[in-house]
Amino acid sequence: MTDSKYFTTTKKGEIFELKAELNSDKKEKKKEAVKKVIASMTVGKDVSALFPDVVNCMQTDNLELKKLVYLYLMNYAKSQPDMAIMAVNTFVKDCEDPNPLIRALAVRTMGCIRVDKITEYLCEPLRKCLKDEDPYVRKTAAVCVAKLHDINAQLVEDQGFLDTLKDLISDSNPMVVANAVAALSEIAESHPNSNLLDLNPQSINKLLTALNECTEWGQIFILDCLANYTPRDDRESQSICERVTPRLSHANSAVVLSAVKVLMKFMEMLPKDLDYYGMLLKKLAPPLVTLLSAEPELQYVALRNINLIVQKRPEILKHEMKVFFVKYNDPIYVKLEKLDIMIRLASQANIAQVLAELKEYATEVDVDFVRKAVRAIGRCAIKVEQSAERCVSTLLDLIQTKVNYVVQEAIVVIKDIFRKYPNKYESVIATLCENLDSLDEPEARAAMIWIVGEYAERIDNADELLESFLEGFHDESTQVQLQLLTAIVKLFLKKPTETQELVQQVLSLATQDSDNPDLRDRGYIYWRLLSTDPVAAKEVVLAEKPLISEETDLIEPTLLDELICHIGTLASVYHKPPSAFVEGSRGVQHKRLPPRTGSNESVESPESTQPVVGQSADQPPAVIPSQGDLLGDLLNLDLGPPASTVSSGPTSTMQMGAMDLLGGGLDSLMGDDAEGLGGDLGGSPAIGTSFGSPAVMPASLNVPVGGGLGDLFDLGSNVGMPCGSYVEPKTVWLPAVKAKGLEISGTVARRMGTIQMELTLSNKAMQVMTDFAIQFNRNSFGLAPAAALQVHTPLSPNQTIDVVLPLSTVGPVMKMEPLNNLQVAVKNNIDVFYFSCIYPISILFVEEGRMERQVFLATWKDIPNENEAQFHIKDCRLNSDAVSNKLQNNNIFSIAKRNVDGQEMLYQSMRLTNGIWVLAELRMQASSSSYMLSLKCRAPEVSQFVFQSYEAILKN
Amino acid sequence: MILQVFLLSSKGDHLIYKDFRGETDASIINIFYEKVVALPGDQPPIVMYHDGLHLIHIRQGGLYFVATSKSNLSPFTVIEFLNRLAALIKDYCGALSEKTVRMNFALIYELLDEMMDYGYVQTTSTDILKNFIQTEAVTSKPFSLFDLSNVGLFGADTQQSKVAPSTAASRPMLTTRGDQGSKNEIFVDVIERLTVVIGSNGTLMKSDVQGEIRVKCFLPSCSEIRIGLNEEFSVGKSQLRGYGTAVRVDECRFNESVRLDEFENYRILKIHPSHGEQTVMQYQLYDELPLAPPFRLFPTLERDPTGRLLIYMKLRCDLPPKSSALNVSLNLPVPKGTLSMSQNLSSPDQSAELQQSSKSIQWDIVRFPGGSQLSAMFKLEVPGLSSASLLEVGPASLSFELPKHTCTGLQIRFLRLSVSQPALPQRWVRYVTHSDSYTIRI
Repeated sequence: MTDSKYFTTTKKGEIFELKAELNSDKKEKKKEAVKKVIASMTVGKDVSALFPDVVNCMQTDNLELKKLVYLYLMNYAKSQPDMAIMAVNTFVKDCEDPNPLIRALAVRTMGCIRVDKITEYLCEPLRKCLKDEDPYVRKTAAVCVAKLHDINAQLVEDQGFLDTLKDLISDSNPMVVANAVAALSEIAESHPNSNLLDLNPQSINKLLTALNECTEWGQIFILDCLANYTPRDDRESQSICERVTPRLSHANSAVVLSAVKVLMKFMEMLPKDLDYYGMLLKKLAPPLVTLLSAEPELQYVALRNINLIVQKRPEILKHEMKVFFVKYNDPIYVKLEKLDIMIRLASQANIAQVLAELKEYATEVDVDFVRKAVRAIGRCAIKVEQSAERCVSTLLDLIQTKVNYVVQEAIVVIKDIFRKYPNKYESVIATLCENLDSLDEPEARAAMIWIVGEYAERIDNADELLESFLEGFHDESTQVQLQLLTAIVKLFLKKPTETQELVQQVLSLATQDSDNPDLRDRGYIYWRLLSTDPVAAKEVVLAEKPLISEETDLIEPTLLDELICHIGTLASVYHKPPSAFVEGSRGVQHKRLPPRTGSNESVESPESTQPVVGQSADQPPAVIPSQGDLLGDLLNLDLGPPASTVSSGPTSTMQMGAMDLLGGGLDSLMGDDAEGLGGDLGGSPAIGTSFGSPAVMPASLNVPVGGGLGDLFDLGSNVGMPCGSYVEPKTVWLPAVKAKGLEISGTVARRMGTIQMELTLSNKAMQVMTDFAIQFNRNSFGLAPAAALQVHTPLSPNQTIDVVLPLSTVGPVMKMEPLNNLQVAVKNNIDVFYFSCIYPISILFVEEGRMERQVFLATWKDIPNENEAQFHIKDCRLNSDAVSNKLQNNNIFSIAKRNVDGQEMLYQSMRLTNGIWVLAELRMQASSSSYMLSLKCRAPEVSQFVFQSYEAILKN
Repeated sequence: MILQVFLLSSKGDHLIYKDFRGETDASIINIFYEKVVALPGDQPPIVMYHDGLHLIHIRQGGLYFVATSKSNLSPFTVIEFLNRLAALIKDYCGALSEKTVRMNFALIYELLDEMMDYGYVQTTSTDILKNFIQTEAVTSKPFSLFDLSNVGLFGADTQQSKVAPSTAASRPMLTTRGDQGSKNEIFVDVIERLTVVIGSNGTLMKSDVQGEIRVKCFLPSCSEIRIGLNEEFSVGKSQLRGYGTAVRVDECRFNESVRLDEFENYRILKIHPSHGEQTVMQYQLYDELPLAPPFRLFPTLERDPTGRLLIYMKLRCDLPPKSSALNVSLNLPVPKGTLSMSQNLSSPDQSAELQQSSKSIQWDIVRFPGGSQLSAMFKLEVPGLSSASLLEVGPASLSFELPKHTCTGLQIRFLRLSVSQPALPQRWVRYVTHSDSYTIRI
């Protein structure tokens, strides 16, 4: 007789049969019947019809049968709430049972029945069970509080269960402690402001004591809880570290990782010259290495974490290179991770060893792995200068194998090596050229073309080589086309006599026969450049390129710091902050590493204007975009200079006009001084369209630019003038280098009574961007997006769009430093990016900001004098009417005007979205050009920002 | 927190489904199966994401063990938990297979209920669990120690009397009540995994050993046992004991329940083993094998006048003459263009074939006595053989088992049960070394 027979019967009258058996007198038969019911439940059959019959079996003294019935109840009580009430009496009775197993079972099951009605019956039994003499019952009851809290939070608070739960942290039984901590942590997470797990030195001490008593699973809860605490100083930090360190040798990897998380976070506070700091570093290595002998699943997860740790503190594992060597039977995903870490750890000391390994890997079977190994060799060359020569010769050996994908990959990395060490390894070019025909991947072709163009003067038949590519020009991918265009222009500038025809050909192919705007525009730029001033063209196109930096694929430092706080969690596996993948984490604050409090390293003062904490001590390495974008970067690099050269005199005006016409934001013209937006536009469509719109242009390249479009611009600014409130000019919030090619500039404005964020998104990468979304961190005035970010069409490379995002002020509130700082996360299909921006406080002035005169007077007197702040506004020559008009447009209302001793006084009021009133007295001396502004407000910290807004409004 | 735990067969049948929080529905099971089957090989399958739900899974005994979550929980916790669940099912039901899970679903539900409450892991220790578990395991056939049909690893040498059959330890941990032929036995296994890389010039580039001592306890009442290791056993580089050849490891981790008060002086581990299987000690040794690596390969590559590629291989087993290696299998990648192969092997108990799918030679030796040497000659037909394609040959990788052998030299000196048992229990000590990754470059 085995249980498997329960799965087999699917006859028609099955439910009926089961019903009969459930109501049988014989215990054994009943039990068998319930088992059958549960078996059906598992495979997904609906057996809810049997609910009353199963509940009838509940009253039994057979524990095994009882457990089975409870199992059934948990599953179906939700769909049968009325029936569930039938079971309540038995539950309550079972909670009084002399057998602790039954008491616990009852309280566990009751909590799982997520029916509102049941909660009121649950309270009394739960209260008793929390104080039960048997620890098994207490630990079950502790979890039950969390269950009940999820159903009815208010009830739990009213009944005082939370306090009982807190007491259980000091229980004598380790499992009770563990569950109490777990339950409290979870409840605290849903109430971020409650100080449930009030972490202070005393309670931390309690937790640390419990840590030694707890089961392994409880230790994880406690360590995770500790990780949320920020010690007061380095001494406290050290003492916690000392007590956590023994956990590193635990057999359970989850305990180890939670301990590593705590240590990595608290280490941040220890001064680096401390002996203990060095000791701690040494202690961290062995447990991490040990993780690599676990099952592949754990190994992979561990490697993802080690990848973060190595980026943050390479010194921990710098002597452990060998353990990251790949085993032939590692799964491919483990191999790739190991390779990545090997490169990060590569240094002059171990480079010979690493290279020997990589060379072996490059002849393995798995294509993906081989490719990555070849790339790794290139990265070694760039990272460790002394090894460059050996890397290059290794790559040449690999090219000799003629294995197609190895050759292509090698050529791509050799291109990077050339960029890093110009004029050093040109001798290999001949070998590369031999393999020209076998290249079929765009990236490799583009890299080869770049090499030919760059070293055209040393390759005798460069023109023939490039010409051979030109034959199938239209079949090439954009990447190759762009590169070919640039390379031929370079060639022309180097050997003008024999390549005139070639350059004509490519320019006409690019400008006349291509649908691709990028290609066309680049073609026009070169064409114009070459025909107007070949000398300048030479300077621009053949300009010396900045060297590429050595580290690639580094995680952006602020994100890295956040991820370090999430070691051992999913975030550390995805390498994304939790907010990117956990639902409902909008309000969750980003975790930050504590600032170092060390002796000689307090570089930044605490009230530093930098909103980003944690960058203080170690200078973060500059991040350059990953391989994929490198070429894009390279392309723009060729283009950047021409754009700035061209944009002189009338041209720049024209660009501005075109820019804003495109964006449709006439109002923003007001703010847009011609302060060099064009400069960093690079090869963006703004220029492109300005060339593209008058169709005559390409024909006569020498036509002076400007003219019609310039007029348009003037018109635009006239339209813009009388309109609404002051809007700050858009500034670049997120530069493309920090966001894998996405550039965001923007401003926050108040238009027609609504606050909106106006963004310009530019795609400077080589791939299409989609799936945009935006989120704000909590901020001082609760600004939050009122709608989703509307980017309907994918953003193709070099495209720019303007987006308007309406904002509300009902989001979660947290005081920021400075007050008007806003931290924003923007996501696209590539990654998540973070930046912060400052908005003018004037956007928060509501239309209902006019105060009655009497009220004004009373309030002014009522606010204590220490809340008054005075500011000078210099160099402003507007008369009082103009001033009050300008201010009124920004919802700063003049209530009264007085003239005293040749001074004009304006009394004004405004109200912020959160109800704060600000009262102002503006004193204007006829004789001088400087105003005196006195502000009174019950929240004096806003005054400074109000003043900044005044100044901005009046001066624009 | 963990929301759901479920077990699927390799074909995707639902075996066990338990929802701990009532926040999601069971439809995810089928979605999971579709996803996991469609995974390309190079993607890490451990953590998957679907519609706000993170799916973490492991595969054991041909079954998928899956846990889901919505929060940013620790994947280590989940994987450890699932591994323990698999181990517990093995302990309680004797083996881990689709059949045993189907037969014992009620028991597994009960286990799950005690192991996890509302997504919090409660306990995974058999000692604690046995107090709560009511259901009894159902086994397919009564266990018999004399069932020697499945002679494998440990029981390789059946002539010798004192060897337990390899299946001996795979049976359900007996519950307190049932004593159907309860055998009074305890097993101590020393299992090592060997990783070696030998460079093309014959130098030993890397040699790591990962080992563990496992105890399987089937005693009716478990009192303290004492396991004595070699007295020369030392941990870490600085600490050398005695004058003799030290048995050294770099790192050592012990199970929580191990008492180490006599370890420092006498190298004795004291434990109260719980029922079933547990790992008492794990250790690692890096880069310093006390003995020569068990295998050496001497290859020669040649092109004969007819354009064929000749590979001549001499494989030497450096184990002590008394022991031998089992199931040795050497895999050697050959040029992609290889069409066919002819072979010439030195003795009849070997076999070799060219595997067309992976383009590699598979050379199998069932039994390889220590101190002996085998050779093989392979002639490959490779059209357009170039010097570059010689680079495609290698590295050779070996897999093998070394019964009754530990690479670190770790031995169990004695195994003592402190309190006199009613009947003297059978005590078994077994050693085995597996190849983890044994690579010889060419």
